[in-house]
Amino acid sequence: MKENVISATVFTLLLFLNTCLLNGQLPPGKPEIFKCRSPNKETFTCWWRPGTDGGLPTNYSLTYHREGETLMHECPDYITGGPNSCHFGKQYTSMWRTYVMMVNATNQMGSSFSDELYVDVTYIVQPDPPLELTVEVKQPEDRKPYLWMKWSPPTLIDLKTGWFTLLYEIRLKPEKAAEWETHFAGQQTEFKILSLHPGQKYLVQVRCKPDHGYWSAWSPATFIQIPSDFIMNDTTVWISVAVLSAVICLIIVWAVALKGYSMVTCIFPPVPGPKIKGFDAHLLEKGKSEELLSALGCQDFPPTSDYEDLLVEYLEVDDSEDQHLMSVHSKEHPSQGMKPTYLDPDTDSGRGSCDSPSLLPEKCEEPQANPSTFYDPEVIEKPENPETTHPWDPQCISMEGKIPYFHAGGSKCSTWPLIQHNPRSSYHNITDVCELAVGPADAPATLLDEAGKDALKSSQTIKSREEGKAAQQREVDSFHSKIDQDTPWLLPQEKTPFGSAKPLDYVEIHKVNKDGALSLLPKQRENSGQPEKPRAPENSKEYAKVSGVMDNNILVLVPDPHAKNVACFEESAKEAPPSLEQNQAEKDLANCTATPSKCRIQLGGLDYLDPACFTHSFH
Amino acid sequence: MNIKGSPWKAGSLLLLLVSNLLLCQNVAPLPICPGGAVRCQVTLRDLFDRAVVLSHYIHNLSSEMFSEFDKQYTHGRGFITRAINSCHTSSLPTPEDKEQAQQMNQKDFLSLIVSILRSWNEPLYHLVTEVRGMEEAPEAILSKAVEIEEQTKRLLEGMELIVSQVHPETKENEIYPVWTGLPSLQMADEESRLSAYYNLLHCLRRDSHKIDNYLKLLKCRIIHNNNC
Repeated sequence: MKENVISATVFTLLLFLNTCLLNGQLPPGKPEIFKCRSPNKETFTCWWRPGTDGGLPTNYSLTYHREGETLMHECPDYITGGPNSCHFGKQYTSMWRTYVMMVNATNQMGSSFSDELYVDVTYIVQPDPPLELTVEVKQPEDRKPYLWMKWSPPTLIDLKTGWFTLLYEIRLKPEKAAEWETHFAGQQTEFKILSLHPGQKYLVQVRCKPDHGYWSAWSPATFIQIPSDFIMNDTTVWISVAVLSAVICLIIVWAVALKGYSMVTCIFPPVPGPKIKGFDAHLLEKGKSEELLSALGCQDFPPTSDYEDLLVEYLEVDDSEDQHLMSVHSKEHPSQGMKPTYLDPDTDSGRGSCDSPSLLPEKCEEPQANPSTFYDPEVIEKPENPETTHPWDPQCISMEGKIPYFHAGGSKCSTWPLIQHNPRSSYHNITDVCELAVGPADAPATLLDEAGKDALKSSQTIKSREEGKAAQQREVDSFHSKIDQDTPWLLPQEKTPFGSAKPLDYVEIHKVNKDGALSLLPKQRENSGQPEKPRAPENSKEYAKVSGVMDNNILVLVPDPHAKNVACFEESAKEAPPSLEQNQAEKDLANCTATPSKCRIQLGGLDYLDPACFTHSFH
Repeated sequence: MNIKGSPWKAGSLLLLLVSNLLLCQNVAPLPICPGGAVRCQVTLRDLFDRAVVLSHYIHNLSSEMFSEFDKQYTHGRGFITRAINSCHTSSLPTPEDKEQAQQMNQKDFLSLIVSILRSWNEPLYHLVTEVRGMEEAPEAILSKAVEIEEQTKRLLEGMELIVSQVHPETKENEIYPVWTGLPSLQMADEESRLSAYYNLLHCLRRDSHKIDNYLKLLKCRIIHNNNC
């Protein structure tokens, strides 16, 4: 039974619906409010979408009520917004208040209501597009050309009181391009574009938005033709950049060219020439200027080769008793019986210092066998200029601490001066006075002196010249052999005359001029040496006994205190006291053989003569 | 002639005149700086610029925070219906359109803004505390809430400075609407709790927009003399 009732009811309804459908009349479909917008925060409009028609004329009405109110209102204006719209005027619009609105569709058959829509005007703000967009190409004379665009805000928006705030955005593109170039313009109503393609037609658009809300639609496009002579000034920039870089490159090349040589020599020091036995302290002195330069720039010793060449292999000893040259350094001295050699001015052979062109290029022209110097490279340093610090100096001082004698202050090694007493001796010039700062070492061990073998040893220890060490050894050996042969020694000479040489002068090295080789004569002290030249206090370290004074104020020093006679050099004695204060060393001068034993102070096995003794003996 | 009415008419006319004068005086912009120094004007401009920047920033943050919360928790569930009349600041006489705003006098306007700001100190504090205490605290919402709380304090300080410059004689008025929604935020029922958060964020978004709009209005009125 129940089933029958139910089916009957359904049948009836369907019949009724069929009848209605046949008639084509239905109540209206449900409308829907789909959009509400406020262009200026003072009015707003809502639009709805009607539902199905139902075949009958349908009336729509919008009703609303506001937050905090219970009264329902109807839409004040259905016209202004167009069909299916409701416009709310100023007096109906309130900010910060929710509107609850609803559309009612009514026709003959019935009515239907839309869903309620909650609207707050605050959040539906969308302005109209900006107006009056004008674009023009501006080409000022002294500035880059640009595209200038101007627009005005949409109407009905109150910007002056600050009720509404607008932000703008522009976009442009060449006519045929696919992508737009967008620029944000902030709150300004004008804009400049600088980078453009000449000869093209551009489209420009602008839009705006409130400080909190939706962007407007783009304004209609404005066309602008860029003239073909629109100069892109980037080329100027590139040209100036290229010129600047070219100038910089030229400067760099020029600087490199100027300094290139010195740089190259610094990086690739000249290859040292063949080493010559013996020491070549004089070479050092000779090449002082070069040494200085090299010292400044490089650690290498450029005149190394020179020094090698200047090494005096043999010291020519003059038999004349007046002339004894003491070699400054005693290299390792195998033969104890080395006698001071005298330089024979007449003997040309073996006089190396001047022979070697590198030794004294400006002074000696004659070729000579490479003389080997007795002097330890470090020791020999000619103090031409007191201020000049010879690169050797540090070596002198640092020489294993064995050469403390070097002037503490000046730390100059002075080459042994050549004492020209004996014309036979080949003392030509006394250029260098080398102070054998062999502190602990023996008194300037005379290579020639057999007693100076200790000195030789010390001198050898003194050798700090890496390069010269082996060579010097060989040189010493050869020297010894040669000494026996009485070959003259040639020592590098200082350029300065003897008189100017400051430091201790123990041995005179004569620069051998054309006629002779450098000869060193260890001088047997015969007479008290008059202080020929003032000795710098700091140089007043006496290593050897002064055997005499040459006529041109050359001190002849005798290396071996024992072998020499008692005569001590007075001058050195005088000068000794100040030097004794030298912190470097308390070396005593190589005493004269005749000095009382007490005068002889042996330090480390070296014989030094106490200058004080000299005074006694001489005075 | 109605002799009886003329004194009344005269009196009412006089009253009208006086009240008009008084109103006009109220509406007219007061001197910015009592001393009239130019330097004072510039400083006020800077203060207003800064205040506008802050208020704009705070509203942006509030708007984002609300959107994120709605999207994540309450979208399409009709919470808006329960947000009607839920703001604690609705008792304040805030202007709701341009005409009302332009009729409001400067001093009251400034005091109103300060009141709104003060009334939000506590709700913001609790918002941060409660969101932080959630089991799965939404980081985006929490960070924004923290930032809003911070910037609101700064804005309040700036406003108090402005008030002291524009109306130095204003006596401190500490009256402001009190928020009582804390229990709602802590309710056990999720629906109710979500509704409470929704209302709070909805009101915050609205009030921050109000403050921003008011400040921009006042800036144009005070600094630029209605010629922005």
